[in-house]
Amino acid sequence: MKQKLSRRDLLKGSAALGLTAISASVKAAAPEPSAITPALVEAAKKEGKVVFYSSMDLPVGEKLGKAFEAAYPGITMQIERSGSERLFQRVDQEFASNIRAADVINTSDASHTIPWKKNGWLAAFVPEDVARHFPEQYRDPDGMFALTRVYLSSIAYNTALVKAEDAPKSFADLLDPKWAGKMVKGHPAYSGTIMTATFQMVREFGWEYYEKLAKQRVMQVQSSTDPPKKLALGERAVMADGNEYNVVLLKEAGQPVEPVYPTEGAPTISGPTAIFASAPHPNAARLFQAWLHTRETQQFFTDFTAQYSVHAQVQSKPGRRKITDIKLMKEDAAGVEAMAEEIKTRYARLFRV
Amino acid sequence: MTTVAEVAPSKSRIDWTKPVLWLFSAVLIALILLPMSWLAVFAFTTKARQPTLQNFITLFSDPDFLDPLLTTAIIATTSAAICCVVAAPISWLVSRTDMPGRQIIRALVTASFVTPPFLGAVAWELLAAPNSGLLNQLYRYLTKAESDAVLFNIYSLTGIIFVISCYTFPFVFVLVANALDNMPGELEDASAILGGKAWTTARRVTIPLALPALVAGSLIAFLQAMTLFGSPAILALPAGFHTMTTKIWSLFQYPPKLELAAAAAVPLLLLTIVLLQAQKFILGRRGYSVLGGKYGPPRRVEMKGWRWVALAFCLIMLLNPVFLPYFALFNAAFSPNATTLVTPGTFTLHNIVFVFTELSSTQLALKNTVILGTATATVGTILALVIAYVTTRRVITGSRVLGFLATAPVAVPGIVLGVGLFLSYTRPPFVLYGTLWILLVAFLTINLPSAYQQLQAAFATIHPELEEASRILGASRLQSLWRITAPLLRTGVIATWCFIFIGVMRELSAAIILFTSQTKVLSVLIYDLNESGDLAAIAVLGIAMLVITFAVVLAVNRIPMFGGSAGARLRNS
Amino acid sequence: MASVDLRGLTKRYGSTAAVDDVSLRIDHGQLVCLLGPSGCGKTTTLRLIAGFLEPTKGEIHVGERLVSSKARTLPPEQRNMSMIFQSYALWPHMTVAENIVYGLRLRKVDRETIAKKLAAILATTKLESLAQRYPGELSGGQQQRVALARALIVEPETLLLDEPLSNLDANLREEMRFEIRRLHDEYRYTTVYVTHDQSEAMTTADLIAVMNGGKIDQLGTPEDIYARPQSEFVARFIGASNVLKGTARDENHMSFAGATLRVIGAKLAAGQSAAVAIRQHDIQLATQAPASGENTIQATVTRQVYLGASRDYVVETADGSSLRIVTPTDVAVEKGREVWLTLPPDRCRALSR
Repeated sequence: MKQKLSRRDLLKGSAALGLTAISASVKAAAPEPSAITPALVEAAKKEGKVVFYSSMDLPVGEKLGKAFEAAYPGITMQIERSGSERLFQRVDQEFASNIRAADVINTSDASHTIPWKKNGWLAAFVPEDVARHFPEQYRDPDGMFALTRVYLSSIAYNTALVKAEDAPKSFADLLDPKWAGKMVKGHPAYSGTIMTATFQMVREFGWEYYEKLAKQRVMQVQSSTDPPKKLALGERAVMADGNEYNVVLLKEAGQPVEPVYPTEGAPTISGPTAIFASAPHPNAARLFQAWLHTRETQQFFTDFTAQYSVHAQVQSKPGRRKITDIKLMKEDAAGVEAMAEEIKTRYARLFRV
Repeated sequence: MTTVAEVAPSKSRIDWTKPVLWLFSAVLIALILLPMSWLAVFAFTTKARQPTLQNFITLFSDPDFLDPLLTTAIIATTSAAICCVVAAPISWLVSRTDMPGRQIIRALVTASFVTPPFLGAVAWELLAAPNSGLLNQLYRYLTKAESDAVLFNIYSLTGIIFVISCYTFPFVFVLVANALDNMPGELEDASAILGGKAWTTARRVTIPLALPALVAGSLIAFLQAMTLFGSPAILALPAGFHTMTTKIWSLFQYPPKLELAAAAAVPLLLLTIVLLQAQKFILGRRGYSVLGGKYGPPRRVEMKGWRWVALAFCLIMLLNPVFLPYFALFNAAFSPNATTLVTPGTFTLHNIVFVFTELSSTQLALKNTVILGTATATVGTILALVIAYVTTRRVITGSRVLGFLATAPVAVPGIVLGVGLFLSYTRPPFVLYGTLWILLVAFLTINLPSAYQQLQAAFATIHPELEEASRILGASRLQSLWRITAPLLRTGVIATWCFIFIGVMRELSAAIILFTSQTKVLSVLIYDLNESGDLAAIAVLGIAMLVITFAVVLAVNRIPMFGGSAGARLRNS
Repeated sequence: MASVDLRGLTKRYGSTAAVDDVSLRIDHGQLVCLLGPSGCGKTTTLRLIAGFLEPTKGEIHVGERLVSSKARTLPPEQRNMSMIFQSYALWPHMTVAENIVYGLRLRKVDRETIAKKLAAILATTKLESLAQRYPGELSGGQQQRVALARALIVEPETLLLDEPLSNLDANLREEMRFEIRRLHDEYRYTTVYVTHDQSEAMTTADLIAVMNGGKIDQLGTPEDIYARPQSEFVARFIGASNVLKGTARDENHMSFAGATLRVIGAKLAAGQSAAVAIRQHDIQLATQAPASGENTIQATVTRQVYLGASRDYVVETADGSSLRIVTPTDVAVEKGREVWLTLPPDRCRALSR
């Protein structure tokens, strides 16, 4: 369908965040926005539980869960954390066997929503906050998902092992032989973040970049939450990709890590959240989805998880670099969907795992 | 022709024995044959279910598949060799000499056995990651070397072989130690009387007699190393290569290539069967031997001045599977940074608090694991008991087939079974995928063979006349089994129960394929946490796992298991 | 109580017949002994009667009932029999009292009756003080009595004993032999007793069936068997006999070692080979030729052993045959001397097979 590119400046700055939402053959219009009503809360409490599949960093996700439980006592949150690509496979497996375990899913590979919508697996639900405060380009016309968080995949280094002046400043720098054997990165077959980042990188630099990077004896881990941790442990000196928000959180906790925003631009990751049509706890799911996109929760994302929100009323955290100040690569969910298979295969061939 | 009149005074009920036994046979067949049939179907057909060999052709012509095959072969062979080299002297020292601390060494070997290999792999990451590993830090500190000098790199082929050997050598130890324990002292006495010195006796009498057990043990070690999933999955990816098991698992990534996964499982299965036949040929029918023989206690070689050296050697060897990894785990559990040594100043309970109060999967995983452990152990023990009874007492025709089926699952590597069960139970009529039942079936199938063998050995110690005496007085077979045999087998039954429980706790290769979010078990949770790099949480959960395991083992510590029996205590005295 | 009737009973293992066409009727209240060397089929016969084995051919009737046949065999628990095993098979995890009342419990007898019967049998077998002990704490003789008590308390139709005394020492064995006979006289159960010890058989049995190679060689009272053996096997097995082989002259004469012997017993066929049995202590040994020349043979002493109560001689006749003779101690002849043997005709028993 239509690819909407914003002509207006973003509320916060100049960088263009383009989120393409391609709706499927189902041309239903989005349902009316729903507020959090006492009736909804009651119904949710009766169900007592919400099962949330997410690829968010584990402590971050669990903190979120505890906040939700505190806001609505009587509803327990069970978080199933795994890399987005693994989650996608699991969902596929479960649906194929008619297993309905998941209520809500947040994925860091925005392209996943495309096949899910096509299969009719998602439920349409528009929280009030999304309808009122989320810019149009970040909403799904069919109301089947909402953009919960935005973040980047960046470079980073361990400050105890690398001096600031020697640190790499760009993706091109990473190909320098002096970084051979000193880098760590995630894997697109497991991590949605890395899948999205790899797509954007290939689009910008072509596969030659990865062919050269593969020769650098990079330590391969799975999830995008892992490279920052490996950096903090001192296991490697530089991370070639991984969650920038994890690096920031670790730095705030006193670990010797420092993010680097590559001069060519940092791959942009958006994490949409959707409710499954077959959710075993539909009301709790709706409540959670609504709660997730309120100003308070979105502010929480910004203040405590170092991620970015597109909610119009959310204030950026003082001292935190604004997303509009960072050079970003453009997103293209449809592109990722088309290329996912090829990315996995070629990457596996290049990096041998 | 006289007809049979009404039955004697005591019983006129139907004897349920035969129908019950036929039922158990049917269960066994379903457990084994069903998944294997589906595996065969998927391996030898296309997506449209047309027969074809294409899957195998794809497999063997693609270097992506051949490389892991080669890697696995190297890993398995080298591990087996190392296991033998390590286990043989330790078993000899423990079994045939007067080295002090023999009981302790046996206990430590037991500890190595019950430690899940994937947990050991994570612990060794903490110890020997090239830059952050504790041992490498120590090395650099002591030698003032460059900051990128590396003594050990666990993310390498050598590293994987090392870790796998650490947790596979107990298998060799058990077989060799058992053989040596049961070797009649008279044989070595004869050599001594004829003038053979200790070493000569060892060389010419003891070693040749123990050789079959050693060879059998090395075959088992080879098989274990070949079919492990956890350790390679944790260490091979960062090292940059696949093994057969990780490759099979990767074929489940979206979009799943089930036909290729099934085809890749076939060589593993065939190789296992071949090697097991070889092992049986070498060892005869003795698997787990009965304790206590008809001969005198073994003659102990006096070590004299060498005793403490020997003990030191054993303890150093056991540093690797036990002391160092456990230390690393404890350190990571209480330290803010997993590879920094904890100090009184930095000691924190934050990780423990996180795992037990914030991590939402903990409770579920613990619950599932304990439920599955208990259920599998109970059902498995009963199943093994009845089948051991049927085969030992030859109750029905074809009881030999039953015995074969009970041991057959040994030939199926865990991940292969996982694939087979996945293919069987994700389709009507029995969609067990997504329930705990499919995990129960998997764990039962995996643990049944050793349970059966243990109980079979235990049965052999019970004189059939004890049951006959019960039957002639009016009890049916089942009643006699229940009132007479089972109570007498109590220690054996309890030991088997514990064995299965522990086996369930450390199982990962089948669980990783069969779990869903609601049926997650501890082993899978630990694997997931490794994916996201949450090492401290792994350490806490790993320790919890070990605590549960050891509690179970110690609660029944008088049980014959790796030397905890009265007979073995006698031997060690 | 009932009779036990074996009709043409056969049990084959592969091509070997462990029990070969055995027919035997044990009358109600009789004690029949199956006597023979190991491997003769006596234990197999007993186990067939008990129902632990199924016959290949033939039938077993207990009273009016057909309990075993090729087509259908009643399992042991339905035969109302009791058995005492060679190993006693006392259950080590139960006390003496619990062992004994096991059978009554199975029959759902009420507590009071059980207590009464237990007291009675404990008195009979003199086990009162041991009722609460465990089998592991008892001596061999005490264990044997417990096994007896356990078997008798249920008042079986048939009592089976499988070499019950072979694990006891010689003195105890003698004592228990009489005990068993006494108990049998008191309770009068139909009893089948298996043993390889002839003195046991002679002491306890009403009838002895001597078995050899799966068949019953001779059936008769102890006196019959001893005094009138019909076959070489029985002659050799029971009592200490010499079996002389020679050629028959006529119905009751046989030539042997140069002499003609007058014999009794089976009618001989002139010209055929014959065998004659004579007990070792029935042969008279003299250093001079006796007055009457009937049944006299000359021989040389090749060995003499002083046994305290008697002397044991081995002598050799002119044609090389060896004979063993037992004499009172006052007949002392050294090795090498020539002696005359007198074989009283009424002690020379011609054998029919």
